[in-house]
Amino acid sequence: MKKLLVISLALIFVFTFALNTVNAQDDPIKIGAVNPLGDITGRQSTNAMKLAVDQINENGGLLGRKVELVVVDSEFRPEKGSAAIDKLATVDKVDFFVGGMSSGVHLAQIPTLKKYEKITIWAGAASGKAEETMGEGNEWYFHLHPWDYQQGASYGRGWTQIVEKNPDLDVGKVFLAYEEGSFGTESYKAYQAMFNAAKDGEGPFSEIMDDFKGASFKSAAAGGGQYRAMLRDAKEYDPDLFIWAGWEADAIPMLGQAKEVGFEPPLYVGAPPGWPQGFGNNPLSDGVVLYGMWAPALNEVSEPAKEFWDAYVEKYNSEPATYFAPLGYTNIMYLAKAIENAGTIEKDELIPVLQNTKYESPLGSTLEITPSNVIENQGFTDQKILQYQDGKQQVIWPFEFSTAELEYPFSW
Amino acid sequence: MSLSLKTNKILLLFIAFLIIVGIWQPNVLMDGVQRGSMYALIALPLALVLGILGVLNLAHGDFLTVALYLSYVLYSNINMDPLLTMIPVTIIMILLGGGIYLLTVKYVVDEGHLNQLLITFGVSMILIEGVKIIWTTQPRNVFTGYAYSSFSIGNYSFGSYGLIYLLMAVVVLVGLQLFLKKTRLGQATFAVGQNPKGARIVGINVNFVYLFVFSIAVGILGIVGAGMLPQHAIFPSVGSPFSLKSFALAAMAGLGNLNGILFAGITLGVGEAIVNAIPGYSSWADIVFFGVLIIVILTRSFREAR
Repeated sequence: MKKLLVISLALIFVFTFALNTVNAQDDPIKIGAVNPLGDITGRQSTNAMKLAVDQINENGGLLGRKVELVVVDSEFRPEKGSAAIDKLATVDKVDFFVGGMSSGVHLAQIPTLKKYEKITIWAGAASGKAEETMGEGNEWYFHLHPWDYQQGASYGRGWTQIVEKNPDLDVGKVFLAYEEGSFGTESYKAYQAMFNAAKDGEGPFSEIMDDFKGASFKSAAAGGGQYRAMLRDAKEYDPDLFIWAGWEADAIPMLGQAKEVGFEPPLYVGAPPGWPQGFGNNPLSDGVVLYGMWAPALNEVSEPAKEFWDAYVEKYNSEPATYFAPLGYTNIMYLAKAIENAGTIEKDELIPVLQNTKYESPLGSTLEITPSNVIENQGFTDQKILQYQDGKQQVIWPFEFSTAELEYPFSW
Repeated sequence: MSLSLKTNKILLLFIAFLIIVGIWQPNVLMDGVQRGSMYALIALPLALVLGILGVLNLAHGDFLTVALYLSYVLYSNINMDPLLTMIPVTIIMILLGGGIYLLTVKYVVDEGHLNQLLITFGVSMILIEGVKIIWTTQPRNVFTGYAYSSFSIGNYSFGSYGLIYLLMAVVVLVGLQLFLKKTRLGQATFAVGQNPKGARIVGINVNFVYLFVFSIAVGILGIVGAGMLPQHAIFPSVGSPFSLKSFALAAMAGLGNLNGILFAGITLGVGEAIVNAIPGYSSWADIVFFGVLIIVILTRSFREAR
C-alpha cells in the first residue's frame, strides 16, 4: 500500500513537472513595452514594435515559441511610466522590458527596473542624468539612444568633417537660443562646456568653434512664443551657426519671426526632440538643418531602412514620421536576433550574447554594444546631421549615409 | 467730473508710458502693443461672461484651442484661408458655446463660485483630452504668405500681421459696446449684469440672456482663433495659459470695464516685451506681468478704501 502511494506521488510529480515544462515551451516569449501612446513618437514606436513581432511570428517565432508584445501607455508621466514596469512584471509576467522615451519618465522608472533586474533594452531617454541614476554594474540594462554628451560629441565630429569638406564654410561663431525649461537650460550648459573645452583646445568643437553666445526664450509650449527680442539679439551677434533648443511648437513661429526681423544666419539649425506635423511642407523650412537618428531619405542608401519603410507603409498605410519608429523596430529585432543566437532566454546566458550581437538597423547604422561613461551596454553613439531640402529631410552627415550636399548659406 | 479727471490722468499716464518705451526701443513698443492687443482680444469674452453671468470660465483658453483646431481643419481639408475660416468657425463656436452652457454652466450660474470653477474645470479637461484624442499632441502649423510680412521705418523692421490683433480688439470692443448700449437685447444684458433679480422681476428672460452671452463669448473666440492661426503653432494646451492671463486682465481692468481690458492688455503686453528685451531676463516676464497686476489691484483697493 505504502509502495503504491510512493509510486503514485512520484508519477504525479513527474507528470506535473513534465506538463509544466511542456506548457513553458508552449507559452509565448513575452516582451513588455512602455511607450507614450498619445504622442506620435510613442505611437509609431509601438506600431514598429508590433510590426517586428508580427514578422518574427510569421517566420515561426523564437526558439519555437510565439512572441507576444504587451504594451502599456506611460502617458509621458513619470508615475505612470514607473507603475507600467510594475504591472508588466507582476501582472503580465513579461520576460523583457523594452521602450520607451522621455528622460523624465525614465528617471522614475529606473528604481523600478532595478527592483526586477530583468533584461531591459531601452530605446529612448538621452539625459546623462538617467545614465548616472542607473549607475555601474547593471549588466541586464541596455540603452540604445545616444546619451546627450555623445550627441554633442557627434555634432562636433560632424561639423568638423563638414567644414573640412567645404573649406568656405565657417561655424566658428555659434549662437544658441534655448527654451527656459530644463531641456533648454541643460542644452545651454552642454554647449557652454563644449565651448570652454574648445577654448582650451579640447573636446569635439576644438577645431571649429571660436566664439559662443546663448539667449533664452519662453517656449510656445509653455505659453510663450515671443522670439523677436532674442532673434534681434542673435542678429546683432551675427553668428555663423544659429541653433535653437526648444520644442516642436517653436519651430515654425521662430522661423517666421526670424524672417520678420530680417535675421538670416548662414546656418539655421533646429534641435527640438521632434518636429511639428508637415514641417517639411512649410516653405519656411527649406534649408533648416536638424539633428536626428534617421530620415526617410535613408531608404536611398540603406537596404534595411528601405525594407522597414516598405513593411511599415504596407501594414499601416501611413509613413513613419519619427526616428522612434525605426528605433522601436530595432529595439525588438535586436533582442530577437540575440535570443536566436543564444538559443535561450535565460538571463545569464543571454546577456553576453546581447553584448556581442550586431544588428544592421533601419536607422542606417549598425547597432553594436560598447561601454559609455557609466553603463556597460550602450548602443548607438552618433546622431546624424540632416537638412530640409525641398520639403524632404536629407542626410548630410555621416558621409557614408549622405543623400545630399549641404545647402549653404541659409536664405529666405 | 472727478471720475473724468481720474480717467484722463490714467489715459495720459498710459500714453506717456507708450511714448517713453517707443523712444527707448520702437521694436519693444510694437511687439508689446501687438502681443498686448492679442491678450486683450482673448480676455474680452472672458470679461463679458464674468461681468454678466458672474462665472469665471476656466475652460476659456480651451475654447480658444478648439477654435484654432477648427480653423486648422478648414484650412487643411478645404484649403480655406485661415482668416476666411473666421465666419464658419465663429458660427460653430457659438453653437458649441450654447450647447456647453445648456449642458453644464446653466446649472451652476446661481450656485457658489466653487461649483462654477469645478464645472468649468471639468469642461476644460474634456476639451483638452478630446482634442488630444482627435488631433494627437503633435503641434501643427499653417503657412500663409502674409503671416510674417514686415515693414520698415528707418532702421527698424516691424512685423505687420500682429497689428491685426489691435484692429480685431478695437472692432470687437466697439461691437460689444454698441450691442450693449444700442440694442434691446444688449440693454437687457446690461441690466442682467447689474441686477439679475431685478431684471427677472421686470420680465427679462435672464436664462436666455445668459445663454446668449455665453454663446457669443465662445463665438468671439472663434474670431480670435482664426486670427491667431497664421502665426501660432497649435497643440492641445495652446490656449490654457490664456485663461489665467485673461482673468488677470479682467481683474486689472475692473469687473465690467471692457474698455479697460484693452488698456490693461497693452500695458501688460508692453511690460512683458520690455522684460523680454533685456538679455538674460526673459524668464522674468511672467513675474512682471503678475507683479504689475498685483500693484494695480492693491492701488485700486487702497483708493477705494479711502
